[in-house]
Amino acid sequence: MAGYVREVSRRVFAQEFRESNLTFKDGDDQYSPQYLLTPTGAKVNRLFIVGTLIEKEDIGTDSEYWRGRVSDPTGSFMIYAGQYQPEAAQALAECETPAFVAIVGKPSTYTNAEGTVFTSVRPESISIVDVDTRDLWVADTARRTLERVKDLDNMDSNVVKAKEHYNTDKDHYSSMVREALRSLKEDL
Amino acid sequence: MDKTAESIKSKFLELGVDIPLEDIVERLDKLVTKFKVPLDEARRSVITYFLKENDLDRNAFFGGQSTTPDSRSTPDVKLNGIDEGGKWVNIKAKVLQLWDSSHESVSQVGIIGDETATIKFIKWSRDTIPDVEEGKSYYFKNVVSNEWNGRFELTLNKNTVVEELDEDIEVISSPMAGAGDGQPAPMVNIADIAEDGKWVSIRAKVSQLWDNSHESISQVGLVGDSTGTIKFIKWTSADLPDLTEGNSYLFNNVVAQEWNEKFSVTLNKNSSIEELDEDIEVASSSITFAGAMVDVQSGSGLIKRCPECKRALTKGACMEHGKVDGTYDLRIKAVLDDGNTAQESILKRELAEQISGITLDDAISMAADALDQGVVLDQMRLKLLGKYFTVTGSKVDRYILVDSIEPQDGMDMEMLDELIADAEMI
Repeated sequence: MAGYVREVSRRVFAQEFRESNLTFKDGDDQYSPQYLLTPTGAKVNRLFIVGTLIEKEDIGTDSEYWRGRVSDPTGSFMIYAGQYQPEAAQALAECETPAFVAIVGKPSTYTNAEGTVFTSVRPESISIVDVDTRDLWVADTARRTLERVKDLDNMDSNVVKAKEHYNTDKDHYSSMVREALRSLKEDL
Repeated sequence: MDKTAESIKSKFLELGVDIPLEDIVERLDKLVTKFKVPLDEARRSVITYFLKENDLDRNAFFGGQSTTPDSRSTPDVKLNGIDEGGKWVNIKAKVLQLWDSSHESVSQVGIIGDETATIKFIKWSRDTIPDVEEGKSYYFKNVVSNEWNGRFELTLNKNTVVEELDEDIEVISSPMAGAGDGQPAPMVNIADIAEDGKWVSIRAKVSQLWDNSHESISQVGLVGDSTGTIKFIKWTSADLPDLTEGNSYLFNNVVAQEWNEKFSVTLNKNSSIEELDEDIEVASSSITFAGAMVDVQSGSGLIKRCPECKRALTKGACMEHGKVDGTYDLRIKAVLDDGNTAQESILKRELAEQISGITLDDAISMAADALDQGVVLDQMRLKLLGKYFTVTGSKVDRYILVDSIEPQDGMDMEMLDELIADAEMI
């Protein structure tokens, strides 16, 4: 276990996650971790999201394969859980919709025939939470996103890579954060 | 390789066994060439094989030509001449310190010295060698040098003969000998303790006394000063007065010991303790971390601990004491994550009960009903994952040993307004 460092669960809003399409590996090894780099420069191998499970469907043919849609103030995340995520698949199967759920998971991408990249989340765990936790997450994610937006002027290699690839518009993401925070304040 | 084979052959010849050289070479070659065994290891393995073949005692081979030790073939050396492991030597040295042996298989352990160096020695209980006394000088015949973690030590064995000497062996003055001379060891700050085996004196406050189940240990816990905290162990045989939690003391002549890159100090017969009137301020090692609980790791929930050492059992066995009848306990090994750092945290029973709402008794009956103690972990995960918590505790390695944990509930409106203002600035 020496030298093993657990990947941090990044905080990214659904909108930014949906607008991400750049994946890369740290190192050449087949076991090197894979990352999704988002437009504001978050290097995501794991993410933590809290939102509302608004749809769920078993789309599996032979075995159960659950698809869920989890929304936050900016959009929604697609969640896929099958036989390799037994705990999460079971949680999705048992869960009612809508419900506040907290999900820890890995980003995953799929490219269709036209070359469009779709992002989704492969959950490690799904748990039912309350509205307070959801609100805390929105504030938490707003703070981390703002930090990244402010750091967009840095010469950090991930930031540079993100800006080159996405030509990131700062205002686009700061207004996304503002909207999310305002919606939070209105609800309270 | 041929040379090795020949030396093995001649050694066996001395024991009255003639082994064909080609047999030895063949075995050696197979190990070294085909199975990539280092020559040293191969030699050992080949010797063991032929000893067994010929029904010979290992000690006959390694311990000399016969079962009666012949110290004439063993060189007399000075302690600073010991520079490799596995050597048979004769030593004239003085016993400087006898330590408390915590293991029944060790009959005596301590430090001996001559005018060139000092070295640790071990005498095993299985070998019937008369006990040595502190301060006396002896002729140790047929002892074996061993290397351990880059240091040398001497092991007494059943071929060892110990003769008391009339003369008083002069000993090199070194930090090791410091305590024996009645000179107090140097006063240091706890943060500066960084050398294994060094004698030091510290002024510190007893910040924690821990439960201890071992009869050879009278007290164990944490002491601290303004620079840090350190674990201490007070041996029963040290015969020192008991320490009280929260009181400050002058600890004279304690020994720093390193274990897994962490230091502790041990209080032994040469140590002394003076209670101080002042209240020493202890550096706060307490930290606070807030984040979402993103994992409750395996090893959490209902666990069993070794009744001897309190370690958690793995598959019913203790790392140290083997298969034991464990006692139930609850704990949570949680990962809290604030989006920038994933912080591992350990919650002991009371805190685990507090935040999970599951008491130890509940957990035991849940496990009994389900015939599976894993159900407790499942319940805890259901209850805790994804929620936000703030923990306070002391940082040890990569963990926080949590003293208190609170769920974060409700939004801090002020903080929200600040965030909005912040977002509008960009």
